[in-house]
Amino acid sequence: METIPGGYEDLIELEAVGRSHRAVRFDMTHGDREDLEAQHYHEPKQRNSWSSSTQRVLSSMPSRSIRWNQTAVLSQNQSRSTKTRRRRRAPKPVSTTFSAANRDVFRERKTCADDVTQDEELLNKLQDLPAGESVRLLREMPLSVSKKREIRALCFSWELAQPLSENEALFCHRFQACFLKVLCGCWLGGLSQKKSIQLWQKVFKNISARFGTGILSYFIFLRRLLLYNILFLLINGLFLLLPQISNPQISNPQIPDPSPRSPSEDEHTYLWMLTGTGYLTDSVMFYGHYTNSTSGNCQAKATECSHYNIPLAYIFTIGTGMFVTCVMLVYRMSKSFEKSFCTFKATGNLALKVFCSWDFKVCRKRSVKLQAVNICTQLKEMLSELSCRKKKRNLCSTLGWLSVHLLVWSICLLCIGACMMAVYYIHPYLEQGGSMPIQENYPVHLLAMPLVVSCISHLLPGFFDKLSKGEDYNSPSVHIYVSIVRNLLLKGCIFCMLCYYWHTKIDDAEKGQKCWETFVGQELYRLVLMDLIVAVLHIILAEFLWGMCIRNFTFRRRKLEFDIARDVLELIYGQTLVWFGVLFSPLLPAVQIGKLFLLFYFKKTSLMTNFQAPRKHWRATQMSTVFVSLLFLPSFIGALMCVIYTMWRIKPSSHCGPFRSLHNMLLLGKQWIVDLGGSDSSLKWLSFAYLHLVDNPLFLFILAGLFLTIIYIHMQVLDGQKLIIGRLQVQIDHEGEDKKFLIAKLQALNEASALSREVSIWAFL
Amino acid sequence: MKDCTYFTRKEILRLFHRYRDLAPQLVPLDYTTGPDVRLPYELIGSMPELKDNPFRQRIAEVFSEDGEGNMTLDDFLDMFSVLSEMAPRDLKAYYAFRIYDFNNDDFICKSDLEKTLNRLTRNELTEDEVRMVCEKVIDEADLDNDGRLSLEDFQHMILRAPDFLR
Repeated sequence: METIPGGYEDLIELEAVGRSHRAVRFDMTHGDREDLEAQHYHEPKQRNSWSSSTQRVLSSMPSRSIRWNQTAVLSQNQSRSTKTRRRRRAPKPVSTTFSAANRDVFRERKTCADDVTQDEELLNKLQDLPAGESVRLLREMPLSVSKKREIRALCFSWELAQPLSENEALFCHRFQACFLKVLCGCWLGGLSQKKSIQLWQKVFKNISARFGTGILSYFIFLRRLLLYNILFLLINGLFLLLPQISNPQISNPQIPDPSPRSPSEDEHTYLWMLTGTGYLTDSVMFYGHYTNSTSGNCQAKATECSHYNIPLAYIFTIGTGMFVTCVMLVYRMSKSFEKSFCTFKATGNLALKVFCSWDFKVCRKRSVKLQAVNICTQLKEMLSELSCRKKKRNLCSTLGWLSVHLLVWSICLLCIGACMMAVYYIHPYLEQGGSMPIQENYPVHLLAMPLVVSCISHLLPGFFDKLSKGEDYNSPSVHIYVSIVRNLLLKGCIFCMLCYYWHTKIDDAEKGQKCWETFVGQELYRLVLMDLIVAVLHIILAEFLWGMCIRNFTFRRRKLEFDIARDVLELIYGQTLVWFGVLFSPLLPAVQIGKLFLLFYFKKTSLMTNFQAPRKHWRATQMSTVFVSLLFLPSFIGALMCVIYTMWRIKPSSHCGPFRSLHNMLLLGKQWIVDLGGSDSSLKWLSFAYLHLVDNPLFLFILAGLFLTIIYIHMQVLDGQKLIIGRLQVQIDHEGEDKKFLIAKLQALNEASALSREVSIWAFL
Repeated sequence: MKDCTYFTRKEILRLFHRYRDLAPQLVPLDYTTGPDVRLPYELIGSMPELKDNPFRQRIAEVFSEDGEGNMTLDDFLDMFSVLSEMAPRDLKAYYAFRIYDFNNDDFICKSDLEKTLNRLTRNELTEDEVRMVCEKVIDEADLDNDGRLSLEDFQHMILRAPDFLR
């Protein structure tokens, strides 16, 4: 089909194009699409236009006339665009052609009276609703702003004085928004249809203008992590840090010094910030400093003392922080899943690609051009896929392909295994003999282990990436998922190895009367800091320096490409360490906040200087769903499991910290609830509930069974809906066939009657 | 005005100043008298957000009252309100449909599709490829089998795309 250029000639072509695409069959046998196309060439009479009587009938079909919902407003717009078309068509003589007459026939039903009735209907509908609802509806209507203002003026003439969005229904929402704004500093998350002050908003706009929404999703993820850490820090700070600080006389000065102080230590105190030793050891930074007593605040005259039980506060604060983070993660995950996963038709990707892949946020000329080239390439790829269905692989090439994959996988797994062994065996060497205490004379030895771990976790993914370039994947997204799995395995294994190593150290610590929680806290602190330092070094060396080399000394002068999967996994790994470490070091989120801030500015500068816009199109929503799921499932849940295991199974050290006299940390909570029943009769129900419900395995079993049942029911409902949609689809197809059949019959009838009329006229003459 | 768009008062003022900056001699500072000022398409199309967008002419035509791309302040606000992040997807889908409907007949037919494709890919695809893509798209998206996409077909397809018109 040749493209006829220009404005109005395609109006003429419209009818012919529209109808000739689908052939009409008079027999009701249902062949498949290929038959349709074949028949298309054998029925040329369908290329002729419909007669005006047929069109008159068609134009009065109910589906073309007024309906409420959005199409009511659409028809309002039709009348508006009809006016513009009439205005536009006036100076041009082509308006008298047949196709323009078609348009007029379709529209001639719309008289001014119809417009007025539509307006009245709309007004009545709006006035019936409450104010807030009608404002929302007004905003969502696809009308021009001037039309909306008229409607609003007519509808709400008694409240013209002030905008409706300030009325009481929305006042609470506003107040809540302000409160949250103050609380969270500069961020307001997730309140729909509210323009909020967001951190780094301008920077994000710049990034999306140059690089698109795919790379922006990394920075949005970083900002989200920042929020979680800020919240956690606030909770810890309010309920743990402040009470501990405000009662210094109760803080325990008897924490055993992890190492004997030596004269040379003074020379190394400047490293205390990096190693977490020295001043920080006995500070609110780490577990060991917190008292196990209740801070009393008895005034001389007051009959009641306000007690603040620090150990209890410790458990509840950490628990609350974890719970709040869990809720926010689950909420974010459910929102992402809702947006990104369509459960029903899996085909139809080409249409989506044509209409939905243009990223309207991009506005720099070069990026726009890149995007166009990008889309073009993808469309060509899809076309070639469609034309030659699957790449036919014969036995040899399949074997070759398999063996390459197996080889790369085995190399990756071997590397991971080697690193795990390295982490386990090097640790003792670095500590000079493999036994505690940590020798503070050599703080660099303390830093060596975290350095090794961070280097492994930063460099090995790059190695995996280079290896996987030799592999041949069916699609780029499979490649990305495979690399994510590999990186995840690597980081997971390292983390497990570290946990196992620390676990073995606990017994030694007990024997030596040391504070193993502080030790683990310090290790985690060092890991987080080292991760930051290695990341910054990596940015400077691998991105700035290497990028400069590539730009200036290669022939093609190309820039680097952003590897988003790897960077996001590093963020997730860092966050896992923080979530695990918060039990031993309540102020670790503060360190993570500083780290995220620094990382943001470094990454942003590096991105703007060294990187080019991506050549591959990123399905940003699906990727961010994957990232949030990874953050929740292996990362948060893993850290939570470790924390719960530590609190439940491992005996706290008996010489320091808030739980020194207990068998395990959770016992304190249990004891408290049981005591609560005894001391205060009004709270007896709580202790009763705890003893007979929470502590009772049968009840938990029943609860779990109930949840599983609910999930099963939802799954069945979903299956049923899928079935219904399939049936409805088939029904729509059948209706379409019927419609075509009837139109053709109508046309045939009209032609026959026109012919007979002509014959009779001729006969008369 | 706040009730008709997704903007706050501050943002509306900011947009007004941007509108005014395009042609200070045409746009008065005082809008309470409701003057009928239209900025020609050339000025609108020179804005940095739209300058390189291949669909800028269609965007301007769709949002302008006269259909030629000359925008009043109301049209200008309307355009940015719909293109902002706060507008719901259905509203954006409706306007996107109208943008892609080059001949304004409320259906996206094959020629509309071909024009869309050519603008998306800057005429890099060959004629054959364009034709194949158009046929396939209509195959996939056309529910009522009339050979062209109506608003319902378009909206049904958009439901399945999470990345639409951010």
